[in-house]
Amino acid sequence: MSGLHGPSTAAPGFELSARPAPLPDLLRDLWRARELIHVLSRRAFFTRYRRTSFGLLWAVGLPLVQAVVMAVIFHYAVRIDVPHYPVFVFAGLFAWSFFSNAVLTGSTAIVDNTSLASRIYFPRAVLPIVTVAGNIYTFVVTIGLLVVAGLLFGVYPGFNTLLLVPAAALAIALSLALSLLLSALHVYFRDIRYIVQAAMTAWFYLTPVFYPLRFLDGVHAPRALGIVVRANPVTGVVELFRAATTGADPGWGLCAGISCAWVLALTVAAAEVHRRYDRLFTDLL
Amino acid sequence: MSAIELDDAGKRYVKYEDEPMLVSRALRVRTGARHGVLWALRHVDLRVDHGECVGVIGRNGSGKSTLLQMLAGVTAPTEGRVAVRGRIAPLVSVGVGFHPELTGRENIYVNGTILGLTGAEIARRLDSIVAFSGIESFIDTPVKFYSSGMFVRLGFSVAVEATPDVLLVDEVLAVGDIAFQLRCFQRMQEIRAAGTTIVVVSHNLNAIRQLCDRALVIHDGIPRLDASVDEGIALYHQLLGEDGDPDADDSGLQIENGVAKVIGLRMVAADGRETTNVESGDAVAVEATVRFDRDVAHPVLGFAVLSAAGINIHSTSNLASPFGAVAAGSTHVLRARLRLPLATGSYLLRAGVHRVDDEFYASTQLDEAPAVSFYVTGSHEFGGLVDLGASFDSLER
Repeated sequence: MSGLHGPSTAAPGFELSARPAPLPDLLRDLWRARELIHVLSRRAFFTRYRRTSFGLLWAVGLPLVQAVVMAVIFHYAVRIDVPHYPVFVFAGLFAWSFFSNAVLTGSTAIVDNTSLASRIYFPRAVLPIVTVAGNIYTFVVTIGLLVVAGLLFGVYPGFNTLLLVPAAALAIALSLALSLLLSALHVYFRDIRYIVQAAMTAWFYLTPVFYPLRFLDGVHAPRALGIVVRANPVTGVVELFRAATTGADPGWGLCAGISCAWVLALTVAAAEVHRRYDRLFTDLL
Repeated sequence: MSAIELDDAGKRYVKYEDEPMLVSRALRVRTGARHGVLWALRHVDLRVDHGECVGVIGRNGSGKSTLLQMLAGVTAPTEGRVAVRGRIAPLVSVGVGFHPELTGRENIYVNGTILGLTGAEIARRLDSIVAFSGIESFIDTPVKFYSSGMFVRLGFSVAVEATPDVLLVDEVLAVGDIAFQLRCFQRMQEIRAAGTTIVVVSHNLNAIRQLCDRALVIHDGIPRLDASVDEGIALYHQLLGEDGDPDADDSGLQIENGVAKVIGLRMVAADGRETTNVESGDAVAVEATVRFDRDVAHPVLGFAVLSAAGINIHSTSNLASPFGAVAAGSTHVLRARLRLPLATGSYLLRAGVHRVDDEFYASTQLDEAPAVSFYVTGSHEFGGLVDLGASFDSLER
């Protein structure tokens, strides 16, 4: 039998009362859980395609097939006339796919991991963070695809390509903030799962994924539609991706600003909900 | 400073029943109706010092699990204060986070990280974890091909090798085969000797006696006693006797009422006196006092001896040779004599009166007495529950 090891990096434990812990405590616990987040998100990504013949190729294949189908249909059937249309659609769709996949899985993360969450403590925020982080692997691959597609269709890299970094960061921040908030609410209101699923369908069309923002300023489009689409937090993300590739429509800076404001508001709300209910979620799981 | 401190800690749950929460919330706002609340645990004051081992005893539903959840930090108290110092490994969570598609080795890393170890710390412990689990040859096989025993052994190994400051143990001493159980037990004693604070929740009173320094008895969510293990076990039996056993009354048998009533059930020692504390191997008698309200031609006494975990050790009746006929209005003591060559621990005695209906031994249950609990002391010379009286010799060929 092996001997005993010395004590490991001992966390100083915890002290709990009916009053919820202050936010710095939660942030400290989250920081301590960074290795856990890393290990669990790797697990989430690498187990997804295990035992499939093409393995990780599916991480590239699925979004690619989706994007090609959409580019072909809207270009030839709907006849949307935008220069470099395939790249235009790729930019919008990859950003949207990451956002919708991350939020769909992230918003149910706490309930979906009941067996883990009800037995051992780590901040519950870890679970939606892990789910969103698990989607980042695919996201990075698709951003690479986007650059390659640009080379194929004549959109060459320039200084504006650097905008991919803030674009990806904004997409991740938005998905994270929304997932954190929704995953907490989902514990109390189990309808959230289906509300999110239903909302995503409408949300897709209210995001300029396959049409340019300026189409909304035409004479046929109702004014309200233009306002809704511009207030949509995902619009700013998509426009940033366009600015980094095929070029964005005028007003994209405003949209990006609106997205940032959304991220800020959602983060504040999520932090408050998690601070208050972090150690009470288990009671309802 | 103690490793664990609870000051008047309590946990209240709101019973949401099965209503969808969105709807119930909305209804509550409108009607002002309140949900039922339930104090799972209340007024817990507890100090556990570094390196101490405390056993928590109580029936199912007494609040033991809630206590462990609070100690694990999974749930916050509704009132009072809970403080735990150091890194906690809940053995409640054997194998938590194991992913079926990952190999044993990969799962050690995931599970170890969940328990708060860093990658380097896990790497250092990897060999001893694998060695302790005893599944070296399967360590690079996905755990979905593991037997449930292998799964639990690997999970237990990670938890004990994680060398936590506070180890929370919930009923896991009963995992794996007997050899592994022994190793677990030894390991727990080593960990304890090395200064880890341990809290054990178990129905296995024997394990608590051997491992723990003291016992906390919880009954209906209220701590009743924090004293020596023997005092704790004695009170536990007394509490069990007061209420009968809530887990053991669902026999699924149809009982024909109004024919006979068991008005007393007791265990009697060889000297004829009632007892609930028996020396292993002693001869005793089970005596059921039955009042018959109707004539019964072929009355029968049936009884069962159950282990603390609810295992039926022995059940029998005199169905094949019933007692003689009894008349309405009479009271009889129905008696069965037996020996109890059992392991040290607590047991339950259940007994009932039946009637044989025809020559094919079809029978009807007439009444069952509240269960009686008793304690067996004595022999430590065998493992398991029953002394089968093995003898050993060696013959030269």
